[in-house]
Amino acid sequence: MATDSKTTAQGAPKNPSDRSRKHLIAFAVMMVLTAIAFAAVATGALPVAALVTLLLIMAAIQVVIQFFTFMHLDQKGHFFPIFFTGAGLLFAVVVVLGVWLLL
Amino acid sequence: MSSHNDLSMAPKMPDHLETSTLEGKNKILGVWFFIGAETVLFASLFGTYLALKNQHMDGPSSQELFNIWMVAVMTVALLTSSLTSVLGIVSMHRNNLQRTLFWFGVTVLLGATFLGLEIYEFYEYTHLGHHFTGSAFASAFYTLVGTHGSHVLFGILWITSLIIQVRKQGLTPVTAPKLYVSSLYWHFIDVIWVFIFTVVYLLGKVG
Repeated sequence: MATDSKTTAQGAPKNPSDRSRKHLIAFAVMMVLTAIAFAAVATGALPVAALVTLLLIMAAIQVVIQFFTFMHLDQKGHFFPIFFTGAGLLFAVVVVLGVWLLL
Repeated sequence: MSSHNDLSMAPKMPDHLETSTLEGKNKILGVWFFIGAETVLFASLFGTYLALKNQHMDGPSSQELFNIWMVAVMTVALLTSSLTSVLGIVSMHRNNLQRTLFWFGVTVLLGATFLGLEIYEFYEYTHLGHHFTGSAFASAFYTLVGTHGSHVLFGILWITSLIIQVRKQGLTPVTAPKLYVSSLYWHFIDVIWVFIFTVVYLLGKVG
């Protein structure tokens, strides 16, 4: 490790083990949400309208977790990425609804 | 311990190697642009699929066709690969070359597992009479899921080539943004899959 001295000069990097733990927790939550979604469909216990709502909410939560933990949008200085991705998502909703309802 | 170093280093030492150069910062911003554009690409394919999913003609319908347990295994593989690629980035921030290479290697293997299962799935579906040109449902399905699959394939090739380069050159201000950006791309592919397994497979099973 030639860069050891450099690493220590930088000072303790802001709790990297905390960051790992955050990612592991996010991953666990995503797995649980996925399991609930698959189980809900496999058992067929819910009426269709409630099931569809549940599935879409599960997906939306997972995507928010993915963006804000794994893709680091929770860190400082991410105004433009959030802005552009938000714009992309906005267009996506318009496009999906537009194509779906028009065809 | 670090406080007395603050004054001695006029330009802040990079906590994150990938944003230590302007080029690195621009690359990351560029990939976010790209992700915004890809979102719209996939949105068009999702819209088309939703509009056409009931036009299955003589072929099997989505309820008859989809094998939910195989999709569950594929989902676990891809979600786990998303975790391993972010662990690769955490290792990169700790300047641990070996562990970075290890986690990105695991990411590639899980991606390949996913892709293998998807190829097998498509192969099985064509045997059940679900052909690309068979119906509007089939065309829309293969176009949407296949476009995602081709993104996974591209990600596998990209990350593999980065592993080779980083093994040779180490973690530098040049290679770090590349790894970071490929990991962003990989997470985005995972986000798309979350929508595919929800909208195509699970809702397709519901009807």
